[in-house]
Amino acid sequence: MGNTIVKIDNLVKRYKELIALDHFSLEIEEGEIFGLLGPNGSGKTTTINCLLSLLAYDKGNIEIFGEKMTPVNYKVKKEIGIIMQNVAVFDELTVYENIDYFCGLYIKDKETRRKYVDEAIAFVGLEDFVKFYPKKLSGGLLRRLNIACGIAHKPKLIILDEPTVAVDPQSRNKILEGIQELNKQGATIIYTSHYMEEVEQICTRIAIMDKGKKIAEGTKDELKRMIKNTETLTIEILDLSDEMLEKIRALNHVYETDYSDSRLEVRFSGGKHNLIHVLNLLQENNVSFSRAYSELPTLNDVFLEITGKALRDKE
Amino acid sequence: MFLHTFKYDFRQCLRQKELTFWLILFPIILGSFFKVAFSELYEKTVKFDAVPIAVVETEKNAVFDQVIEQVSTGEDALFKVTRTDMKNAEKMLKDEKVTGIISTGDLSVEFSSSGIDQTIVKSFIQQYKTQEKIITDTATNAPEKLDTVISALSTDIESNKNIPFADDLDTTVQYFYNLLAMVALFGAMSGVFVAINNQGNLSSLGARKCCSPVNKLTSITAGLSAHCVVQTICMIVAVSFLAFILKIDFGDRLGLVYLSSIVGGFMGVAMGFFIGSFGRLSEGVKMGIIMAVSMLSCFLSGLMVNNIKALVSEYVPVFNEINPAAVISDTYYCLAIYDDYSRYIRKMITMIILTVFFTLGGYILTRRRKYASL
Repeated sequence: MGNTIVKIDNLVKRYKELIALDHFSLEIEEGEIFGLLGPNGSGKTTTINCLLSLLAYDKGNIEIFGEKMTPVNYKVKKEIGIIMQNVAVFDELTVYENIDYFCGLYIKDKETRRKYVDEAIAFVGLEDFVKFYPKKLSGGLLRRLNIACGIAHKPKLIILDEPTVAVDPQSRNKILEGIQELNKQGATIIYTSHYMEEVEQICTRIAIMDKGKKIAEGTKDELKRMIKNTETLTIEILDLSDEMLEKIRALNHVYETDYSDSRLEVRFSGGKHNLIHVLNLLQENNVSFSRAYSELPTLNDVFLEITGKALRDKE
Repeated sequence: MFLHTFKYDFRQCLRQKELTFWLILFPIILGSFFKVAFSELYEKTVKFDAVPIAVVETEKNAVFDQVIEQVSTGEDALFKVTRTDMKNAEKMLKDEKVTGIISTGDLSVEFSSSGIDQTIVKSFIQQYKTQEKIITDTATNAPEKLDTVISALSTDIESNKNIPFADDLDTTVQYFYNLLAMVALFGAMSGVFVAINNQGNLSSLGARKCCSPVNKLTSITAGLSAHCVVQTICMIVAVSFLAFILKIDFGDRLGLVYLSSIVGGFMGVAMGFFIGSFGRLSEGVKMGIIMAVSMLSCFLSGLMVNNIKALVSEYVPVFNEINPAAVISDTYYCLAIYDDYSRYIRKMITMIILTVFFTLGGYILTRRRKYASL
């Protein structure tokens, strides 16, 4: 890993009685795609707003590119690209004008700016919509415009705050591929989301947040190794007796079982061929089942095991 | 950076449909409506046409004949008289070829409808009846003075032309002045966008701008400048439309009407910026407040009901000195009424002071760079 690009030290942010950030610390290295994962209200956006010096905080210190971040540190701000959670574009300006406007806040030279704007348009695939006004764009295209406005000036640090909320799968994939491409081009990325699949797919390192605290940090494999769970089996069984459930619990490496709504979940901490062992046991006891599958642990399992609750409701 | 921000703020402002309506279409529509509504009054007042009447000789009345002859001749004739019998007169009245029928015997008057022309005829007969004894006495006792008396009476009767319309011409123009004052104040809607788009805790765009490496003062100044230029264009369009399309007579001080409108527009934009910078209310709520404040300001300055301003002046005189709508309309009134410029200059200075106050107040309220919450 290279230089430390972002350093957040012991950050505390209170909204009256509510502690939004509770002694939160973080370091992000150059070249990373760093994921901030957590449920809604966990403090991700508050962290980003403090990082950008938009929000005042009660305690702590923030450094970006080795300099203390303040609202008037224009040198640092010039190197940051921000894609806000809420789309921030002018309804009265066309796609091209919006990108040119935001790019122009960073790049003075007209020729360079024109080149950058054209590249940003091509990057997000909005070539056919340059003369469109934002109100004429679909949700996915609008998000892409929002991204183009944030990255056109080729920043070294790009912060994306939940950029795929309410976006169709096609646009979502395009956005995620784009983020990886920006990273390949040399930008350091901070990506916040409550979609664990996205974070797992693109982030090189992840911090999981809950109630303003960092509850875990590492690569996705490191995070998964932190927990007991190595495999979860799900089997659909119409009728399962308590006696049979006890036999399954007695199998090697099983540490938790749950049977409800004709659905059996068995969690293992280690072991090999666990699915075969369970299915053999069911056959030996003449228990019929319809569907069975095995899942490796996800970040949701990590969150579940650490906090005792799911990362987000199933959609 | 200023020019870049100015360019896009200007484009954005020009393309806002609400502003286009209130700042350009509203004065055109309402001005045209005023013009149509006041045109009949204007025609009657300024370009007086002789009232067509039928005179039926039911009895000989030499004195009346002499008087009616006098007021129906010349370029400035009060009546256009047709002498005929009652049957034909009634047909003419039915066909609306005459306004009324006067019988020479009892000087009775017959109309088929009511209106301004009918009022003139009625007033004429009433005045004649009042003066009739003087005329007949003069004819009996000093016939050599009869011509002089009839001439004096004719002059009196001719004043009937103006009886129902005293000062109407000024009042009509003042309605257009009021309209311009209202448009200038609607600039507040434009100003509120500058505040909202530059505050991180009021809009996503504000937050996004706060993250950019642009000084807040530069961003706000560019925004205000762009909106003031658009407001100036709108005021020029409004004044020009009234002056050259609707042919409203602003006298020989049209240049000063333009100047007052432009400065008034600046004050409107600054007022909107100031109000928009207050608190964390949504854009819709702030626009509602702006409209309410503008309307209240207009109402209390008498732009809607004439005697309200007098009442405010009686009970809270200082309010009229600082009420933006009252100050704008006062500058127009000063141009319309007073020959000297001292009062006009005082009102212009007040507008400039209010503009500076609102702008600085807005700057102070938006200068914050970090927010407690977003």
